Amino acid sequence: MTTSKPARKHDTEDRRREGISSNREGFNQRSRKAIGDRQLHDAVALASKNLIGGRNKVLGSLPDAPELRERAYRIKQETMANLDRYLEQMADAVEARGGNVFFASDGEDAIRYVADLARRKGAKIIAKSKSMATEEIELNRRLEEDYPDLGLEIVETDLGEWIAQLAGETPSHIVGPILHMNRQRVADILSGVAGEKLPPDVEELTKFARKRLREKFLAAEIGMTGANFGVAETGTICTVTNEGNARLVTSVPPVHVVVMGIEKLIPKFDDLSTFVQLLARSGTGQKVTVYTNFITGPRAEGEMDGAEEMHLILLDNGRSKLLGTEFEEALYCIRCGACLNVCPVYRQAGGHTYGSTYSGPIGAVITPLLKGDKEAKDLPHASSLCGACSEACPVGIPLHDLLLKLRNRQVNEGLAGKGQSVAFKGFENTMRSPALYKISGKAGRVAQKVVEKDGAIRPLPGPLSGWTNTRDLPPLAPKSFRELWKKGLKDG
Amino acid sequence: MADRAEFMDKVRHRTRTGKYRPTHAPDVAWTREGAPPDKEPIEDPSARFLEELEAVGGHGRRVKDLEEARSYVLDLAREREAKLLLRWGVGELTRLGVDGPLRKDGVEVAVWNDDLADSKDVASRADIGLSTAAWAIAETGSLVLEGGPGRGRIVTLLPPSYVAVVPVDRVLSTVPEMIRKYAEAGNVPANICFHTGPSRSGDIEMTLAIGVHGPGDVHVLLVG
Amino acid sequence: MRVALFIPCYVDLINPEVGVGAVRVLRRLGVDVIYPDGQTCCGQPAFNSGFFDEARGVARHFLDVFEKEEWDYIVCPSGSCATMVSHYYPFIFEDLPEDRERSESLGHRVREFSDFLVNVLGVTDLGANHEGRAVFHTGCHQRRELGILNEPRELLRNVSSLDLLDWENEELCCGFGGTFSIKMPDVSTAMADEKIAALEKSGADTIISCDSSCLMHLGGRLKRTGHDTRIMHLAQILDPGKAG
Repeated sequence: MTTSKPARKHDTEDRRREGISSNREGFNQRSRKAIGDRQLHDAVALASKNLIGGRNKVLGSLPDAPELRERAYRIKQETMANLDRYLEQMADAVEARGGNVFFASDGEDAIRYVADLARRKGAKIIAKSKSMATEEIELNRRLEEDYPDLGLEIVETDLGEWIAQLAGETPSHIVGPILHMNRQRVADILSGVAGEKLPPDVEELTKFARKRLREKFLAAEIGMTGANFGVAETGTICTVTNEGNARLVTSVPPVHVVVMGIEKLIPKFDDLSTFVQLLARSGTGQKVTVYTNFITGPRAEGEMDGAEEMHLILLDNGRSKLLGTEFEEALYCIRCGACLNVCPVYRQAGGHTYGSTYSGPIGAVITPLLKGDKEAKDLPHASSLCGACSEACPVGIPLHDLLLKLRNRQVNEGLAGKGQSVAFKGFENTMRSPALYKISGKAGRVAQKVVEKDGAIRPLPGPLSGWTNTRDLPPLAPKSFRELWKKGLKDG
Repeated sequence: MADRAEFMDKVRHRTRTGKYRPTHAPDVAWTREGAPPDKEPIEDPSARFLEELEAVGGHGRRVKDLEEARSYVLDLAREREAKLLLRWGVGELTRLGVDGPLRKDGVEVAVWNDDLADSKDVASRADIGLSTAAWAIAETGSLVLEGGPGRGRIVTLLPPSYVAVVPVDRVLSTVPEMIRKYAEAGNVPANICFHTGPSRSGDIEMTLAIGVHGPGDVHVLLVG
Repeated sequence: MRVALFIPCYVDLINPEVGVGAVRVLRRLGVDVIYPDGQTCCGQPAFNSGFFDEARGVARHFLDVFEKEEWDYIVCPSGSCATMVSHYYPFIFEDLPEDRERSESLGHRVREFSDFLVNVLGVTDLGANHEGRAVFHTGCHQRRELGILNEPRELLRNVSSLDLLDWENEELCCGFGGTFSIKMPDVSTAMADEKIAALEKSGADTIISCDSSCLMHLGGRLKRTGHDTRIMHLAQILDPGKAG
């Protein structure tokens, strides 16, 4: 029997890991693959159009959307300002309901806890519903590689995530993990698992997936979810899906493990209404997802299903160091994906180009914040600063301002490189001195005579080649505006 | 091994006055041209519920009494050629009285209670799941399902067809209203699910697939 | 009304006709236009690359130049440069209260050209004429920080012989982004190509904007890909002194 063990393709996993460390100079280079992939481009463009169109409709029809957005910001702000208190409250509430709480400083801590738990339970299968936090800490791979004696099979149950897992690839979009694959590709991947040729028909492929994954749901000893929100007041975990897999993995397996970033907390149960109204509307254009599930502890007295044991892993992994800093707002993210959908850079480059768990504008911000500037040097520069992300964000995170601040941080840390530092110092000196500025203009006009041709500057070597390889550069005008002003325009 | 105190130390209270600065961008959601849409209360919650459910691909019907509801369930079982129906073990559904007639039609009826052997297996084999609901939300067409004795979660999840029979006076208007009710009640059940229409996914080429893990065939009867 | 002209560095050096057009339009409307001497640049290139200290240096020079007199307004034929002064000077001077105050008090007098015409002078018809089928490109700063979306279109609708067309993906960034266009050239070019595809689909022969930087980028790509689309700043379209 073929298992659902993911195809451990060395190159794709390594390509992603390589992506993270080669972020020093690689974004533009890596983008070439995506730019050349017209199918990917069209898929992303269509997804964005649908998701944004939906979002505009359902958010635009909410009478108090602007108030919700501000309230969401303030709730998150309040939470982060008192995160220690809310974490304690959450832990107490979960424990009072019979759950277990574990504080994981980093991914290794979390994974070790899961491994120990799996060992104690003799678990062989973990059925997972989608969790960005577990991808961030590479839970699947590390459980398999670092604890091979456990013989654990970790199965993603979100349809797109499962298919990506089978292909040995990483998801390329927070909401649509396999946007980058067409149905033939999916058919090929699933045929490999089925042991027979499946047609590239969405209904047939879905039927197969339902059947195969059903087996995993029923056999798994551990069900694992992330959490869209965690309510400190009551110890409630909220998960949101369209497929029903989060509800299934928390109803059938006897043990439920939640891996939740500490920034997912909100203070009160009533605060959920602000976020439940914003999340789906903003991310998928639905008023609410098909399954919005609220779990408070393990099963209640008298229930015959639902987990018997519940474990909440609170994950820090670099989040706490952002508290109280100018970057704290990056923690307010509810992972809706709206910023990806509006980003013109994401549209061309796709998710994999970012080389990180989190892509798009939020990815460009959070990756250097969690992993350090050196690890993600290119990402803050992978933006034209158009501001569409800040506009779309339902929590009001000023993403494009944070990108600017990250660029500034790089400069202050000396990561900008000598060439740029010298260039911009020169820029400052020139622009502070009208005389120098005038001279530069004149000098430029003389210099360009060498490269100007038919009123345009064609391919140049050196730093400007980035431009001139694909675009014409207009020449400096024979007379500047200042000269024209002085020479007659002044007097009309 | 992570130390709780050590963990908390890193998180310890750091105040910061954030500046919420909405963008000036004329986004349709945050910065409206003209007056915002009306904040009208929903006049006919049950009608609105049925509309919203239909819009997401569910089947909703207002029926006047339990007898009508019963015939609906019987008809559905016939149409789906069901062999096994699994229902919640709650008084309301006993009073619905479908067990006898279904069995007469050759449909096995299983009841989710302590007497049910191999409940997981039964739920996986069932063609239709039948439950009631604690509440319903008109604004979104959502059922509000609470777990509890006799109220199996997988009854509403594993079978490919699912019917909920709900007294019409349980239809609330909005999501905030529903959440406020639980917030004020003080004690939150171990499980609450807002279930809205058929299970779906757009993962494969953004093409809508129905009934991915949960039921794709969803029916709600509002009784009364 | 005494108005100071803030001419962006690339308008000064590359597209002076934009400044000339702006001057002529304003004078035609009876505005007393001064071009304060000593102005150079708003500092945005340094700012966008994260060189905030250098940007502050340039910004202080800008403030020195434009504080010399109490202008009624400071008009700028560039959405992105107007935004830099009005929105981002307070940002870079956040922790420097004196400079911050200076920039805030100057900032709200800085107005983008079309904003000034429509919202300050109350003018939408300049009696201009320009033959062509055009699309209008709104620069991102103009859209998102300034919120000046309709004003250019109102002005253009009153230009006789000009057919103002709609085009797809109107809100998408053109891909210039300052140094982004050189740091991420493939992505930047792909973004331009997305806009050009929409332009082609619309059937327009002219592209108009209030931002010469966007025009430089789109124009550069249009030329390199063999398009003969006319590339024009709003001020040039409205310019009463232009030939024809």
